[in-house]
Amino acid sequence: MIYNWKTIIRHGLPLLIFCILIEIYAGNLIQQNQTFLLQKLPVFLISIPVINGVGGNIGSILGARLASGLHIGSITLKSNDKQMHENVFTAIILGLCTYTVLAIIIYFIGTLTGATKGIELITYLIIFIGTGVFLICILSIISVLSAFFSFKRGVDPDDVVAPIVTTFGDTLGIIILFLFIGGLIL
Amino acid sequence: MIAKEMFKQSLPLLILCGIGGLFTGNILILMAHLFETIPGLIIIIPGVIALRGNISTAFGSRIGSAYHLGVISKDDMWNDELKQNIIGSIVLSILVSAILGLLAYITSIYLFNVYPQPLLLIGSVLLAGIISGFILTFLTVGIIYLVFKRGYDPDNITGPALSTVGDIITMLSLFISAGLMGAIL
Repeated sequence: MIYNWKTIIRHGLPLLIFCILIEIYAGNLIQQNQTFLLQKLPVFLISIPVINGVGGNIGSILGARLASGLHIGSITLKSNDKQMHENVFTAIILGLCTYTVLAIIIYFIGTLTGATKGIELITYLIIFIGTGVFLICILSIISVLSAFFSFKRGVDPDDVVAPIVTTFGDTLGIIILFLFIGGLIL
Repeated sequence: MIAKEMFKQSLPLLILCGIGGLFTGNILILMAHLFETIPGLIIIIPGVIALRGNISTAFGSRIGSAYHLGVISKDDMWNDELKQNIIGSIVLSILVSAILGLLAYITSIYLFNVYPQPLLLIGSVLLAGIISGFILTFLTVGIIYLVFKRGYDPDNITGPALSTVGDIITMLSLFISAGLMGAIL
């Protein structure tokens, strides 16, 4: 038998506690900016869970694929592994496509509910897609590094990569979004 | 080859999940007034959402590798490997929720100058963790069963599906729990 519930907890718990601390920081970031976002640019408050969610999802897909590849031996622990590069490249293109489709859907729904007042379509697309693609690039690097390091140290990447990627995704997504908003609107 | 498979199996789901995220964002805005009655609640929102997603995506990811290693398959699903994973996920949910409530309480007071009621905040998170932990763990098993049945690679599906459904179920659990604890205390 390869799985034991105590091992799952022992591997998972320290990392999850580390994640909690970063997520509490992300929560505080939202709390501080909530009034500003609600009153001036509500469309971005709705966008935050989408940007973070998709970023975390693509990072986790990449992580799960790397983990399976490492387990069955089709991916090796080398920085120039061809299959790893192909997976990362596909993840970034997948991110670009997903964010573009979602940006258009969100803006369209936003015009119906009045959430987009004060922002042009083109500005919104640049901010949303720019934030998304930038986020995916950083998360892909984090995904590869955490998968390779955990596998090298004998820890199952399946336990490690998804929590790390989604946690960094939540915090970095909010920070990158604020940087783009700051650069293009304010 | 990799690109084609990932696009075909993941892209529709990712877009669907993005729309799910939009739903979560709207619940947040609609329920904004509740954050005023329970100080500290908004600080734990990213944590509580992410942890649920983390525990179940890690569960899904392990089953993905188990599938590739051949220790779990369509015909041999309810074996001891799966049961150990189920126990691990549920215990982890309860433990981590309790720790999240406690840490959020402590950091709120010392770092963010927010003063929550300890029983209300920690109780809400813990109850939400127990409710969503059970629902999501068994939902994970259901999704894995469907993925096996359709012959897809679990790695392409379980992560996004679980983190999105997880967000919505966790948000709902949290608001039910916060409402219940508010009524009791």
